[in-house]
Amino acid sequence: MIERRIILQPSPLMRWSIHVVLYALALTMLVPFAWMISTSLKTRGEAINPSPTLLPSGWPWEWQWGNYSQAWETASLGRYYLNSLLVAAVVTALAGVHNALAGYALSKMRFAGRRAAFTLLLLVMMLPAQVSFIFAYVICGWLGYVDNYQALIVPFLASAFGIFYMRQATSTVPDDLLDAGRIDGFTDFEIFLHLIVPSIRPALAALAIFTFIGSWNAFFWPLIVIDSNDLATLPLAVAALSSQYYTDSWPVQMAAATIITLPLIVVFLIFQRAFVEGITLTGIKA
Amino acid sequence: MRSGRQHNAWWYLAFPLTIVVLFTALPSIAGVALSFFEWSGGGSPRFVGLENYRALFAAGPFWPALRNTLLFALITVPITTGGAFLAAAALNAEWFCGRTLVRTILFVPTIISIVAIGFIWRWVLDPSPGGLLNTALASLGVDRGALPDWLGRSPWALATIILVSIWRGLGFAVVLYLAALGGVSRSLYDAAAVDGATPWQTLRHITWPSVRPMTFFLLITGMIGALQVFDIVLVMIGTSAQGWADVLNLYLYREFTLNRLGYASTIGVVILILTIFITALQWRAMAGRAEAST
Repeated sequence: MIERRIILQPSPLMRWSIHVVLYALALTMLVPFAWMISTSLKTRGEAINPSPTLLPSGWPWEWQWGNYSQAWETASLGRYYLNSLLVAAVVTALAGVHNALAGYALSKMRFAGRRAAFTLLLLVMMLPAQVSFIFAYVICGWLGYVDNYQALIVPFLASAFGIFYMRQATSTVPDDLLDAGRIDGFTDFEIFLHLIVPSIRPALAALAIFTFIGSWNAFFWPLIVIDSNDLATLPLAVAALSSQYYTDSWPVQMAAATIITLPLIVVFLIFQRAFVEGITLTGIKA
Repeated sequence: MRSGRQHNAWWYLAFPLTIVVLFTALPSIAGVALSFFEWSGGGSPRFVGLENYRALFAAGPFWPALRNTLLFALITVPITTGGAFLAAAALNAEWFCGRTLVRTILFVPTIISIVAIGFIWRWVLDPSPGGLLNTALASLGVDRGALPDWLGRSPWALATIILVSIWRGLGFAVVLYLAALGGVSRSLYDAAAVDGATPWQTLRHITWPSVRPMTFFLLITGMIGALQVFDIVLVMIGTSAQGWADVLNLYLYREFTLNRLGYASTIGVVILILTIFITALQWRAMAGRAEAST
């Protein structure tokens, strides 16, 4: 006779150890960031002290807040902040519209070439960027985009992934709803605006967050297409900072790292739910 | 009516597809073609046949870069995926306290600029007295002199890059696994409980097979991404990470900056072929296993 017990639950000791392991793992994710912020408020001497402390010495108002203004001014981060913000905002807004419209057309309209267009997108999604970026750079050169804002914006005004994602999202909108819209005399665009967009709002939000973060953090492509100091985005400027100072001034470098990191962490914490839901949608559909 | 709609569809698709074709599809095809030419970007390309490939395979940096890229991908991706599965399974359990908190924290490195990640880790790993890791290890009694230069000219450089990549990629995989675990039917677990399965057996024989599509997705996309590894090496070690931590894509970037576009494309094609080969291999392995289990 087989002994029938319900022992799906691990033992208390096991559960306790699993908690310890996962919280320790979470701690390893936080410590480097805590260390970054802590170092950014220290003096140079303190930063390279052989027995470092977690908190900078003295009271908070005595900490080296000047490191931030130094990082901000010596690297003129204000300018680069604006560049990054401008590029990310334009790309996020326009790519969102283009991808959603294309996704809507692919999922809800019947037309010749639909299959071919969809296959093309799937193929493009699998290609590693390494084969395409060289000639994409050449094309940008021909169009006069190199070392211009256009190079950071135009190639990202739509993406295979974005269109695919929007196609998946719009295909969940019931056809009955669209038919009802047509009976009410809506044009295809009005259907998109009044019926599709409200129904796919979570997916749109998720795509917007992905696009924004992707653009804000983009490093490889801007590194290639931007030469002028004026047009550099934040990651480029901060990367350049490390070669200017090198190990000499860790606190200023950490202040710069905090400056580019903190806005994203704040955005992430605010939009956490939309974010995780969006990723979930992508994962399941993919 | 119908033709009117046809017109409309292309009206919506034309611009987005043009962007995708112009900046991704066409350049990919051109990139493969370019690998048979010698070209500096100006003037007309000169056809050289397989000369770029011959030169590449004979070049000093190629083989170490290839080895490191493969090592990186083959170590990073399975560990990230497997670790994420275990973490997600634990986080998904009813008895786990603080699931949202841990999930949120694990996810933070994923959204941070790679430049900032590089800065932070270089500082944590710095061999100077202020470097956090060495100081911590020293305080545990490890001899400072015996500690390696984590990002220096030794195999440690690649090991460090791999560890930081796992650290960075784990949270993303955990979130995806949690989504997949949410879809696993409760009745499977109830049946296992009735049969007296241990937690480990349940994990192995119920949870793991149930999320196979997600594992498949994570392994395939993870490999595609890992074979393109570039920025993390650039920001942590620099372009001259030769030998110990050099990777194909970094080599490609160096050649690109020297305006050797044909030769750089050749390296891109090698990455593309590796990607196709490894994806096909995984595809077959996973499809075979799915058949065997049904």
